Amino acid sequence: MSAEIIAVIADVLTESIPLTPISQGAEAVVFTSPVHPYLPSSVKHDGNKLYILKYRPEKKYRHPDIDKALTKHRTLGESKLLAKLRLIDGLNVPKLIGCDPYHGCIWLEFLGEDLPDGHGFSNLKNFLWMNAKDPYSDLVKETLIKVGKQIGLMHWNDYCHGDLTTSNIVLVRGGEEWVPYLIDFGLGSISMLVEDKGVDLYVLERAIISTHSSFSDKYNMWILEGFKEVFESNGKVGLKKYKDLTKRFEEVRLRGRKRSMIG
Amino acid sequence: MVNLNSIPPKDGRDYYLAIGLEGSANKLGVGIIKHPVLERHTDSDLSHECDVQILSNIRDTYVTPPGEGFLPRDTARHHRNWVVRVIRKALSEANITDPTKIDVICFTRGPGMGAPLHSVVIAARTLSLMWDVPLVGVNHCVGHIEMGREITKAKNPVVLYVSGGNTQVIAYSEKRYRIFGETLDIAIGNCLDRFARTLKIPNTPSPGYNIEQLANKCKNKEKLVSLPYTVKGMDLSMSGILQYIDTLAKDLFKKNLKNKLLFDSKTGEQLVTVEDLCYSLQENLFAMLVEITERAMAHVNSNQVLIVGGVGCNVRLQEMMAQMCKDRSNGQVHATDDRFCIDNGVMIAQAGLLEYRMGQFVRDLSETVVTQKFRTDEVYIAWRE
Repeated sequence: MSAEIIAVIADVLTESIPLTPISQGAEAVVFTSPVHPYLPSSVKHDGNKLYILKYRPEKKYRHPDIDKALTKHRTLGESKLLAKLRLIDGLNVPKLIGCDPYHGCIWLEFLGEDLPDGHGFSNLKNFLWMNAKDPYSDLVKETLIKVGKQIGLMHWNDYCHGDLTTSNIVLVRGGEEWVPYLIDFGLGSISMLVEDKGVDLYVLERAIISTHSSFSDKYNMWILEGFKEVFESNGKVGLKKYKDLTKRFEEVRLRGRKRSMIG
Repeated sequence: MVNLNSIPPKDGRDYYLAIGLEGSANKLGVGIIKHPVLERHTDSDLSHECDVQILSNIRDTYVTPPGEGFLPRDTARHHRNWVVRVIRKALSEANITDPTKIDVICFTRGPGMGAPLHSVVIAARTLSLMWDVPLVGVNHCVGHIEMGREITKAKNPVVLYVSGGNTQVIAYSEKRYRIFGETLDIAIGNCLDRFARTLKIPNTPSPGYNIEQLANKCKNKEKLVSLPYTVKGMDLSMSGILQYIDTLAKDLFKKNLKNKLLFDSKTGEQLVTVEDLCYSLQENLFAMLVEITERAMAHVNSNQVLIVGGVGCNVRLQEMMAQMCKDRSNGQVHATDDRFCIDNGVMIAQAGLLEYRMGQFVRDLSETVVTQKFRTDEVYIAWRE
């Protein structure tokens, strides 16, 4: 992680908000901080409770016009979406605490934990890798069905994620089980179009094929199973929507380039 | 670990000789390379350090007049007319008097335009029967990747493959080059070429190069003509951008004063030049490319990028990629120059020879059928761990 980038945001937030960088994604750097933005600095934080700070640094490689437009659009877009998604019953997204669009910065509640035996942070990618020895266990199956349900619920309410990958799904421990949370809505949108949802599913399918190639068929099947359940529970309208969606999903799949046309 | 020395070179020599024939688009390329037999290759994962020697790298490009693209039929005719001369030149430059000493003949099996691929594979089969040398069919994209790795010594990079027919972000995993992101419609080179056709600028040395030169001449770099920005996760889409900027360019040529983006509504003064359009198009497209590459890097935890393919010669793209890598921890960007970026025979020879050294070559001529659709991830990469 580049120290220059960290210095910029640390300067904005001043010394009273300590930052610990935890990951650098493609467009944002993610920090944890023990400080809640609303509490006065006189209140001592005990360090047990952490908050997430997601910071979109200036991207020097692109033209300043493009950069400004994108950073503003994505920071505000993500905050708006999170605020709305949070209100949907049964859908798990991190709670939005604060948004600073001028500096490309949002505060979120902290989710997830570290997986045992150095398997890294508890996102779906690391979870699947951790379970690669027993890839078809009930735990994996249940978790993936639950992931499918989350995505189904989001699509049923006409929201799209835009960048569904296994690293953008965080698992939170709930007793013996794992509860999936969708994160990173920087490319998200509100959309009535089947097209956008079809592309969403296709992006996730491809992400699974490329990161978890050996077991991808089963994984994708389970996710779709959970996905279908949500639509089925909404009666006739739901089934019709599900049919339209899967039809478009198949079409999007065929659209990729240079696919061999056998079979 | 991988054994690259399983098939010894011909006549007990201590080096392999391979000839590569490439003709998937408008470039006809023939290249001859030499790999020394190295002890370290018996049991290692060093397929990117073959100490390759390039004996010859001859290319002939079919260039069309401004405003026209290359049609498959005419391109195939160009390849048929030139292939013998180019092969002869490659052999004489490599000082090979007895071509039956060559270990393997490599040809492009796909992807590409059908007719040109076909005319080149016929030449390859003929040589194989005439000299009694085995054939290896190579995936064009894998050729680019392997040549890039060999030249830059990048061990396991995220590969951005950008050319006239392809736009893919690729990373290696479990014996395949997996495609993480790609274009959902047209390729970046195609987008640039077609815009060059609208502008009617020359196709020599290449349309993309001429757009780059025009973009450099842009006088008003602070202000960008705003274009659609269409990144979809790790994929991108470019046909809409092309459509939009084509309309702008046509309005500009027609002097359509109603277009307020281009002309001042009161005075009718022209606000945007052709150079501005080229500059904005490049900035916009490359920002999208760099962004999806960065997404792929973040997804697979890699910090190396290798840019291959014809558009990879673009200095601005290399600059932007370098800047992106600079802002990531220990980021490194690897790029090659036009000898290896633009389609050539050497890269086909390199990937083909690796395949041959792993014992994979054509046993029957029916396996040499070329195909227009041949995905990068269909190839089994035996030579990597």
